[in-house]
Amino acid sequence: MMFVKRLLLVAVLFALALSPTTAQDVTTITWLTLGWPVEATIAEFEAQNPDIKIEAEQIGFNDLFTQIQVRLGARSPLPDVIAVDVPLVSGYAFRNWLLPLDPIFTGDEVDDWLPAAVNAGSYEGTLYAAPISTSTQLLFYNKGCFDRVGLTPPGADDRLTWEEIAEIAPQMTFDDDGDGTPDVWGFIWEQMVRIYQLQALPESLGGMAIGDDGLTVDGVINSPEWIEAFTYYYNMFNVWNAAPQGEEFWPADIFETGNICMFVGGPWNIPRFANNADLDIEWGVSRHPYFEDGVPATPTGSWHIGVNANSENVEAATRFVHFISTGEGAELWWREGSGDFPAQQSVLALFATEEEFDALPMSYMRTAADEATVNPRPRAVTVGFLEYEQILQNIFQDIRNGADVEETLNLAVQRIESEMAKYIE
Amino acid sequence: MRVRQQIIPYLFLLPALILLIVFNLLPTIATVVESTFVISLRSGERVFAGFANYNRIFNDPVFWKSLQVTVVFSLIVNPLQIALALGLSMLINQKLPGIGIFRSIYLLPVAVSLNVTAIVWRLMLDQNTGMINGILFNLGIERQPFLHSVDLALWSIIMIASWIGVPLWSLFILAGLQNIPPPVLEAAKIDGANAWQSFTRITLPLLRRVLAFVLVADTVANFLLFAPILLTTQGGPQLSTNLILYETYRRGFVYGDLGASAAMLSVMLVIVFIIVGLELYVLRGQD
Amino acid sequence: MSDAINSTTARASSAKRHGKPLRATFTSGIVYTLLIIGVLIVVIPLMWAMAASFTPNHKVFEYAYPFTWRALLPVDFTMEAYDNLFARGFGRAIANTFFLAIATVIIGGAVNALAGFAFGRFEFRGKNVLFLTIIMLSFLVPVDLTAIPRYILVNSFGWINTWQGLLIPGLANSLVIFLFRQFFADIPQELIDAARVDGATWLRVLISIILPISKPVLVAAGLLMFISQWNSFFWPLLVAPRQELRVVQVEISLAVGQYGTIWNELLAGSMIAAVVPILLVIPFQRYYVEAITGTGLE
Repeated sequence: MMFVKRLLLVAVLFALALSPTTAQDVTTITWLTLGWPVEATIAEFEAQNPDIKIEAEQIGFNDLFTQIQVRLGARSPLPDVIAVDVPLVSGYAFRNWLLPLDPIFTGDEVDDWLPAAVNAGSYEGTLYAAPISTSTQLLFYNKGCFDRVGLTPPGADDRLTWEEIAEIAPQMTFDDDGDGTPDVWGFIWEQMVRIYQLQALPESLGGMAIGDDGLTVDGVINSPEWIEAFTYYYNMFNVWNAAPQGEEFWPADIFETGNICMFVGGPWNIPRFANNADLDIEWGVSRHPYFEDGVPATPTGSWHIGVNANSENVEAATRFVHFISTGEGAELWWREGSGDFPAQQSVLALFATEEEFDALPMSYMRTAADEATVNPRPRAVTVGFLEYEQILQNIFQDIRNGADVEETLNLAVQRIESEMAKYIE
Repeated sequence: MRVRQQIIPYLFLLPALILLIVFNLLPTIATVVESTFVISLRSGERVFAGFANYNRIFNDPVFWKSLQVTVVFSLIVNPLQIALALGLSMLINQKLPGIGIFRSIYLLPVAVSLNVTAIVWRLMLDQNTGMINGILFNLGIERQPFLHSVDLALWSIIMIASWIGVPLWSLFILAGLQNIPPPVLEAAKIDGANAWQSFTRITLPLLRRVLAFVLVADTVANFLLFAPILLTTQGGPQLSTNLILYETYRRGFVYGDLGASAAMLSVMLVIVFIIVGLELYVLRGQD
Repeated sequence: MSDAINSTTARASSAKRHGKPLRATFTSGIVYTLLIIGVLIVVIPLMWAMAASFTPNHKVFEYAYPFTWRALLPVDFTMEAYDNLFARGFGRAIANTFFLAIATVIIGGAVNALAGFAFGRFEFRGKNVLFLTIIMLSFLVPVDLTAIPRYILVNSFGWINTWQGLLIPGLANSLVIFLFRQFFADIPQELIDAARVDGATWLRVLISIILPISKPVLVAAGLLMFISQWNSFFWPLLVAPRQELRVVQVEISLAVGQYGTIWNELLAGSMIAAVVPILLVIPFQRYYVEAITGTGLE
């Protein structure tokens, strides 16, 4: 019996010793975020706000959504501040997980944000997540491939049509080692099976991402526009054989080795290629492609930041959210943190004035900054975005690898409707 | 004194039982209870809904497809792993020079986590850059879409699960083999039994208990498998690897549809209980 | 399979004749061939992953397709991935996980051994019911999928981002209790009776009689608990996302970024995660097999 008692005693002491102690004057808030370099931004904020300490909980991209789902779903007061992928704002707001943020921003601050970002961060007219970055897409090309087939690459402000890409991509697909499989591919989408990037295809043809009620997909994602768009996508992989099938991968890796001639991707690739001293390809950028008979449509949307509705440190949390999404904090976050595009027009304007962007290739960032404002197409606004996105991701991967387009899109309708059923009461 | 004696086993059990009840049993019961609730997403209130979640999943073709995939998967993976584990354990039970080194090598996968295994195999089986296709290329065979063809993907998952499973279960069977006294086998040999006869008549019956344990444990382990799916095929292509536990995970932890997820888990638990019960009943019947 | 048996019996009889007939050589040749094929299946993925972890990220897949032997050796050797990992705090994660795993082995070992002892050596009311419901049920339920109510519970204890939250829910392990029960049940009664006659308490019997002769099962149970804690990912990710409390598997998952995966870091982390349990398993493999033999499963 002594042993058991001792064991219990040890366990109690152990538990006591490990209990966290909190200082009295400083409020510590936790910030659930990705693996961005957050240190500089936190240091500056803490210097300006000595009564607040920020603790970053950084986790992998794939784990963020599960983490939010479990913790906020459990009504946990932690984390106080959350990185929110913008299409999820509706779903989180609908579940009352996020604090309304309207009172903490002035009209000028709201007006400084890109209108598409404000809309995407709002649900039923209320702002729930402040934009801290945005995104856009460009066409990246390897000049060597154009030289090889005797074509001239597009200029930075040219906008190729998807038809033109369908024309040149197969020509730029080479099987140099003669094994029957190309080792240089003509084209790929950077996020090859994600709705973020592929939605621009049907939208360019006039299709919609989701029904007006934010729930209906029948007649939307199996509409003629979607079928036409994804037949194009199917052909790229299965008929013209100009893009590699298989698992998802990051094309920038093989673009750098010269194995992809063109890809549509984000501006984060510009500094990556510009700073790669070993890079021995000549590359360039042009505007996001569109369908000849359609309209330009460029993907947008990125990271926002929100406050946990159950947070016990609302005042400190909103102060941090305000800091990082406006003014000098936003500029600091753009310079030192995100590596993404800023969502504030005042910060975007810096691309035009900063010397760093005067010369090629970094001047392509100016192209991107402009592209971010001209034809931005945010993702579907729906409370069931995760279901919608995940199912479509499965579906696009199947189409990419040879599944019938119409049949597969109809299957997607069936699967998404079965998930959306829970939102209709 | 007498009373004290009687409470001793309970005292010994107490810490483990409390921990298991609090951290395993209560969450399980809570999950089963959750399956009868829907969350009114508007107000965030939980509302009792009886069998509504069950109705929803039973009318969902994805659920039935997942169940079908799980049945096919189980019917292949369990016999396959046990047969291979039996073969492997007989090989490493040979008293040959250097056998200790082989045994150590075959123990390696047991120490590697399922996540790491899945990630490494996902890269090895990649259509464009994977080493397996590299080896096939050297042999003059064309690339195989191991993880995204409806015909191959489930087999790839079976292979990944078996890379750990076969060595793990062979360890248990090896222990059983080492308990068979060599004279028993020699006696059979003298009686004129050939190798096959001595295997079926002597070795297998003597391994029955360990094989029963392995069968039950393997069945449960494979029913509970979902991490490799998450890290490789995400249920695709065309739901061909959408094991029921993965679908349960996806509903609950990705879509946040806790009611449907809990209902699926409850159905799963009933199925596993029945199957394990049947396995135990059949194997007991032979005594 | 029949070849394997054949070889045993053939060897048994050939040993008596002090010669090695052609047939025995032939069958052991087959055995070695099969063994080597199996070894290749086991070793090649690990060798490739190991080599890739010492390769610059952009060259990770360079020699895999078409396949050359270079894929299995770090020909473009660099420590880049390991340097980056450790610069990011991987050392801390290793220390954390090691501490957790050892604490699990010690505290969990005590908890599970006591329970196994009760189930293996005592007759008491409700024994079978308790065993079938609590132990078997815990064995059949996938812990990851019941994580939400467990999270809510642990949250209500205030254990989020604490060592308690990481450690305590995983201490009791039904498989380990089962292992102990089987082993303890087979210990000869005389040993225990002798000690009881001398007036030893049951706890003393467990500590000074039973545990010393249970080395194999202690090692096996210890390894089982160590490996399961060492490899745990989902629960630590939920319950302790704070930087200072990160465990190895969570740290590895950070290599999967928003715009790409750093493959060599992912593999370097995975290799470190694999090496530690491998180093523990190999010297103890003898006990592992013995323990299973000792559980009376055969």
